[in-house]
Amino acid sequence: MTKKLLQSTLQKYLVFSFIVLIISAPIFYFLTEKLYLEDADETLYLRRNEFVKLTMPKMSKIDIVVWNKISKDGKIIPYSKTFRENNIFFTTKYDAITNENEPYHVLKSKIKIEKTPYVLVLKINLIESEDLILSVLILFSLTLTILLTGMYLITKRLSIKLWEPFYNTLKQIEQFEIDKHKEPYFLPSEIEEFHRLNDAITKLIKNNLLIFQSQKEFIENAAHELQTPLAIIQSYLDSLIQQPDLTLEQANYIGKINLVVSKFNKLNKNLLLLSKIESNQFEKMEPILVNKLIKKHLDFFTEQAEIKNITIHFHQEYQMKVNSNMLLTEIVINNLFQNAIKHTHEYGRIEIQILKNRLLFKNSSNDNKLNTNQLFERFSKSHNNPNGNGLGLSIIKKIIDRNHWEIKYYFENQYHIFEIIFEN
Amino acid sequence: MKILIIEDEVELAKSIASYLSSNDFICEIANDYKSGIEKVSFYNYDCVLLDLNLPDGDGIEILNHLKQIHKTDGIIIISAKETLENRIECFQKGADDYLTKPFHLSELFVRIQALIRRKNFKGSNIIQFNEISIDLLAKSIFVHTIEIDLTKKEFELLLFLIGNNNKVLSKSAIAEHLSGDMADMLDNHDFIYAHIKNLKKKLNESHCTDYIKTVYGLGYKWQND
Repeated sequence: MTKKLLQSTLQKYLVFSFIVLIISAPIFYFLTEKLYLEDADETLYLRRNEFVKLTMPKMSKIDIVVWNKISKDGKIIPYSKTFRENNIFFTTKYDAITNENEPYHVLKSKIKIEKTPYVLVLKINLIESEDLILSVLILFSLTLTILLTGMYLITKRLSIKLWEPFYNTLKQIEQFEIDKHKEPYFLPSEIEEFHRLNDAITKLIKNNLLIFQSQKEFIENAAHELQTPLAIIQSYLDSLIQQPDLTLEQANYIGKINLVVSKFNKLNKNLLLLSKIESNQFEKMEPILVNKLIKKHLDFFTEQAEIKNITIHFHQEYQMKVNSNMLLTEIVINNLFQNAIKHTHEYGRIEIQILKNRLLFKNSSNDNKLNTNQLFERFSKSHNNPNGNGLGLSIIKKIIDRNHWEIKYYFENQYHIFEIIFEN
Repeated sequence: MKILIIEDEVELAKSIASYLSSNDFICEIANDYKSGIEKVSFYNYDCVLLDLNLPDGDGIEILNHLKQIHKTDGIIIISAKETLENRIECFQKGADDYLTKPFHLSELFVRIQALIRRKNFKGSNIIQFNEISIDLLAKSIFVHTIEIDLTKKEFELLLFLIGNNNKVLSKSAIAEHLSGDMADMLDNHDFIYAHIKNLKKKLNESHCTDYIKTVYGLGYKWQND
């Protein structure tokens, strides 16, 4: 499965952000809590030291009761030997106002008032710390979320803008067809890699176009140049057959050469036609009634079909109007006719059908389905018909492609069927 | 009848000349643009066969030149260029007909005849061949003054045969002539057999001499013994 470039990048960003959030939140929580507790303990020590330094020297035993009354978080209790010096421990104490157990840290230290040992118990409420930690955590999460969302959006926007030339280049290459006369135009990019990519592709396309062009010209020139020698051969043949003392054998040979020359001539003309279609020499478009075009040539091909005792049946269920080049459309129809007659057995049947947006040429056959892979390739001959030059169908295909129509071949009930789908 | 062949392929020009010469045509050959211009300037021809691709100039210029000096020689273009634009340009500049290479000499021959007939048209357009007379305008045929009914194809076939009197016509030449623009769509030339048979039958029925001879392996011939 392929993913979009941006999608893939962002996905990784998101996964990373999520992991960071998950891991950092508890760490942050515990760290904050630890810091706070340390802070609280320090406060306890500070208050103890304060008491020892400032309050204790001025105190007498009588003051203890008063002090215990005033002081909220401190108590002075009589000394017992079981207590451990400077020990901080955790305890909960029921609070009547909030009606719940509240957490406390308690510090017990040994003091001397008027030379009698006492124990100073100082405690600190931790309830505020929980609220604080929670608030900090929420704030932290919120900040992180905003940060990540922002990063995601910015990356996305930036990436789209950054990759724009790349996507443009991609689109141009996708739409590029070597036989169409439209060179791709790449958006100039300030990013070096894209610039290099565009340069490389432009160079590649230019080279290919040059090769394509010279190949096309070669075919056209070759076909063109062959016409004159062909004309000379033809005219000598026409003169040769006028010789009065030709033997039957000689006449047979000449007759065969004549056939080959006319085949050669047709092949040459088809090659010329192909290269002309490729170089867009048929650009004039006009509305064409396909029904009329078929009727125009029906007589000619009916006569050709009669030689093999083939019958042609024309069913018009629709008046098919297309906008195309007349000459090319005529060539498609003629080649379909010719193809059908060529591949129909004696006493066979050809059916031409015009449906909505579709034209069907069906011909009965004793063969099997044709090999569809190379059917429309140049010079792909079917082995059972050595007469064809293998250009008819490729010419049809080329014209169909030019017009953005579609051609399909299938084999059904011993009928070869060629179906043309005109524009929808 | 005087014909000028302006064609740089010497071999082609020669074979055209030899085919035409045996039919009481006098042929001259110009192998390049310069001699072509000279010849059309100094002499009059019934028909000029003009190749467009000449080594030292464009055949179209010869068309322009003829127009400038107000000559009305019939002109048939023989060219390897076969685009519609080319044809239209030539016709606009005064050409009378256009044949794409390669062509059959028999085809060229009937085109020349038709062109000369059109040029010399004096009210009626009738071809007389022994007992046969053909009215080209009415498209009707009389044998011994009795009209016979021919199909369009048979009519054209008869004209083609008579035009190439005493010449052997290959099947492909006949087939291509009868098919006109559709000649390239022919897969074989067997269909002419039926037309020849029917034409022969119709001519025989009206007691016409049997001029149409089959030349084995090659084609047919209108033979006037």
